Amino acid sequence: MNDKIGIYICECGPNIADKVDIEKIIQSISQMEDFQDKELIIKQHKLLCSVDGKKFLEEEINTNELTHMVCAACSPRDHDSTFIGVCKKTNLNPYMYQMINIREHCAWVIHDKEKATQKAIRMIHAGMDRVLYQQPLEEKQLDSNPDVLIIGGGIAGMETALSLASKKRKVFIVEKEARLGGKSAILKELLPRQGVNLNILHQKVSDVKGNDNITVFTNTELDSVVGFLGNFEIVLKNNQAENQTTELLAGAVVIANGFDLIDPGTLEKFHYTEEDEVYTAKQIEEMLSENGRISKRNGDIPKSIALVHCVGRPEVGYCSKTCCNYLLKISKMIRDQSSDIEIIDLYKHYCLPHKEDQNFYNAQKSKGIEFIQITDLKLKGNELEIIEISGKKRIVKADLVILAPAMIPAEGSGKLAELLKIEQNYTGFFQEAHLKIDPISTNTDGVFVVGTAHGPCGISESIIQAQAASGKILTQLIPGQKIIPEVMVSEILEAYCTGCQTCLQVCSYGAIYFDEDKGISVVNEAICRGCGNCVGSCPSGSIRTRHFTNPQLFQEVKEALR
Amino acid sequence: MNTSNNVLIIGSGVSGMEACIMLSKAGKKITLVEKLSLIGGKTIKNEETYPNMDCSTCLVAPIQQEILQDPNIDVLTLSTVEEVQGKSGNFKVKINKKARYVDLIACLGCGMCYPPCPVSLKNEWEENLIDKKAIYVPCSGALPNVPVIDAALCLKLNGSEECNKCAEACMFGAINFSETDQIIELNVGAILIATGYDMLDAGKLQNLGYGKFSGVYTSMEFERLFAANGPTEGKLVLRNLESIPQSIAIIHCVGRDLVGYCSNICCTASAKHAHFLHHKLPDANIYNFYTDICLPDKTYQKFHEDVKSHSSEYIYQKDREKMKIQETDNKLQISYLNNEGKDAAITVDMVILENALQPSRGTDQLAEALGVELDQFGFVEAQTFHIGSVVTSKNGIFVAGCIEGPKDIQNSVLQAEAAVAGIISSLDQ
Repeated sequence: MNDKIGIYICECGPNIADKVDIEKIIQSISQMEDFQDKELIIKQHKLLCSVDGKKFLEEEINTNELTHMVCAACSPRDHDSTFIGVCKKTNLNPYMYQMINIREHCAWVIHDKEKATQKAIRMIHAGMDRVLYQQPLEEKQLDSNPDVLIIGGGIAGMETALSLASKKRKVFIVEKEARLGGKSAILKELLPRQGVNLNILHQKVSDVKGNDNITVFTNTELDSVVGFLGNFEIVLKNNQAENQTTELLAGAVVIANGFDLIDPGTLEKFHYTEEDEVYTAKQIEEMLSENGRISKRNGDIPKSIALVHCVGRPEVGYCSKTCCNYLLKISKMIRDQSSDIEIIDLYKHYCLPHKEDQNFYNAQKSKGIEFIQITDLKLKGNELEIIEISGKKRIVKADLVILAPAMIPAEGSGKLAELLKIEQNYTGFFQEAHLKIDPISTNTDGVFVVGTAHGPCGISESIIQAQAASGKILTQLIPGQKIIPEVMVSEILEAYCTGCQTCLQVCSYGAIYFDEDKGISVVNEAICRGCGNCVGSCPSGSIRTRHFTNPQLFQEVKEALR
Repeated sequence: MNTSNNVLIIGSGVSGMEACIMLSKAGKKITLVEKLSLIGGKTIKNEETYPNMDCSTCLVAPIQQEILQDPNIDVLTLSTVEEVQGKSGNFKVKINKKARYVDLIACLGCGMCYPPCPVSLKNEWEENLIDKKAIYVPCSGALPNVPVIDAALCLKLNGSEECNKCAEACMFGAINFSETDQIIELNVGAILIATGYDMLDAGKLQNLGYGKFSGVYTSMEFERLFAANGPTEGKLVLRNLESIPQSIAIIHCVGRDLVGYCSNICCTASAKHAHFLHHKLPDANIYNFYTDICLPDKTYQKFHEDVKSHSSEYIYQKDREKMKIQETDNKLQISYLNNEGKDAAITVDMVILENALQPSRGTDQLAEALGVELDQFGFVEAQTFHIGSVVTSKNGIFVAGCIEGPKDIQNSVLQAEAAVAGIISSLDQ
């Protein structure tokens, strides 16, 4: 079939028509020497994006049986999808069309009409050269598995599971410990704003166990995972029995492996021994659950208690977000026990980021807490050497000291990141696909991070994140709905690949694997996003990104720079 | 057609937009109601977002475009929800859609209609820092990129004279003076409230001199002053449009004691403002006045420390209520109690007030129309029996973003995604 290129110039009302000489463009294009052997159809239209304009284009494509099309109009941002939509109604493959922006790039920015016209001619010529090298591309459709694997059976993992199971999704929870519940299971009570009833949390454990759509694997860890959104092949291993593995399939993976606490004993400014009356807030909570009251090691009730915020914060380099409220809750529990115990609260900055927090702070303050704002602190046994905000140094003594250690990424997070091909932030917590606008997704499509695996946060936020992941999965992975991967992806030309594996290192999505048998790299098209990193890195030039191949780009640039 | 599967989303900020896109992917039909003439919410008023200084427009514009082009999403701008009846799965909604007087399809956004308009008025969207015409888009880059006519001030529409200048300038016949306000009635199965926040009127803090002294700005005014598409095209000049400030004080927690809560985003936002200032005015002296620094995300402390070491001095003030700003010889004198509790003062050219976030204007009426409860601060109350919740007091109505309480973009988006899970569950029951 002979090439038949349709070139359509939009007047955009006066926007283009007044600022560039369209007649001159048409004349110039029709006389181009390098296109003398091609059949060109060149027309102008008042407004290609209008209903009339779209109908006009559709008829042009059909009646002329175009093989290629160039639309010279506005920004592709405005109407690329409009013209792709027109192509899709016809036999012209949308990848055989090219849009040229002669409005924003010429008409609106160049005041000299002659210069604007010359630039428009050159840009259209470049587009014509490029379009000849374009190739038709077809979308693929892949089946998908709607089931979900959740790593971690704490509050975030359980909430994700329950939310998905309520929509009849099959869910697998993998928990490395022997029981569900995570760290929230040891809590004595919650913050007032989190609701009055701790039973709701415990109820979730039994709800998960009793739910037919949820399968729980305790004492189990992720061993390996391969695949992509809609099609993950997963192997689990029992950490009590080396050889006991389970294989399953899922369409999405949710990481909810929680957090650990920094060990205050490892910090430079905290010197104390097992005999000192120094406890972490978590130990106090356990003490309260066991004995119902806070006491010293000898059983005596302390007369004074010092609360220390931000333990390990300078070392980890971030605020753990929950500790100020957590220590206020400990103050409340101390006051519930006795109104006589002196409470000294040593803080650098009070962080009360939720609208209800200030009320809680005020309520505890009214019950008698001495708040001391400090700039630094050293702990030696039960003695605290502090520097007040005024610069004054002094010693604070208390019968008992309670520390709020920083939250740190859970042990094993690095291994999970490697297995699932996702990134960790510099703090060690997992990295979002986008911090602001895609905070629950990761670089790997179909892998989500919720709760404290994502960064320090409280129970309410963990639950919101769990529901957010559920929302993402329920709208991305719909039973029976096909997955359509990106078409403009990389491909590796087998004959040229030397097997150096440079591309594996630069791929941010884990989309390239190495075929040991053939000794070459291979792109998994379902994962590739077409970013082109591998193309640039390949020393043998064996990789190309479809629709952005070197010849296509060369043709366009050659003409633009002539 | 079964309309009980349709969703109404009120508010087109990052929360509302995220919910729109997700629900559309799941095949739902959505009506997005926005009271302004443009979508995108408050995010687009910020040139860059902290802590990575991502360009806001670059983040949001593709989402805005996707929404405007999505056949599953019906965008109703200049619209407010007036009345809601019924229950989860079957709400009857009455929407008041104000006339734009410019045809959304015929208009290309070429901007030929504004220059001839003889009427000028303050541009509220630009925090009144600049004027606009009676036919206007609030800012360049607004989407939909179609102007609106202020009916009260347009000479033709208010009946003062037979002016036709904008219509004459329009090559596409897009101006339609005969358009009228409409009442639109819809049936939907679920509703999401995502109407966002407004800033506390900084004039209420009389000790800080906002409105009295021209050198005192709110944080949102400063955002627009910094923005490349803003009133000064990003040039940091004082209100006389000439003087470049050499010393700037950024005051944290403005109005915190008045509203009764921490607004969550201001400490990081003020670090961003110091970063902006240092970037454009590298020789200026920048001071951040604080009592506590609240940095509630894993990435915020590093950002704060970078700013503290490169861009701004941080000054502790012992008592927020004791701060006083006065104007002498075109300079602003800030007196405050220092870390030792003693009187101290500095003099600056410009003050930026990081004022508190409040429920968006009109929340009371909206809550009444929807029949949902508000909390003691006037935010939409999420039900605590769910512990972490985007469920309002009324079944089938969900809430996300800053109308539930002050929060950053990340947490607004998270709530929207969580609300989508709730909406999908409630619809298919």
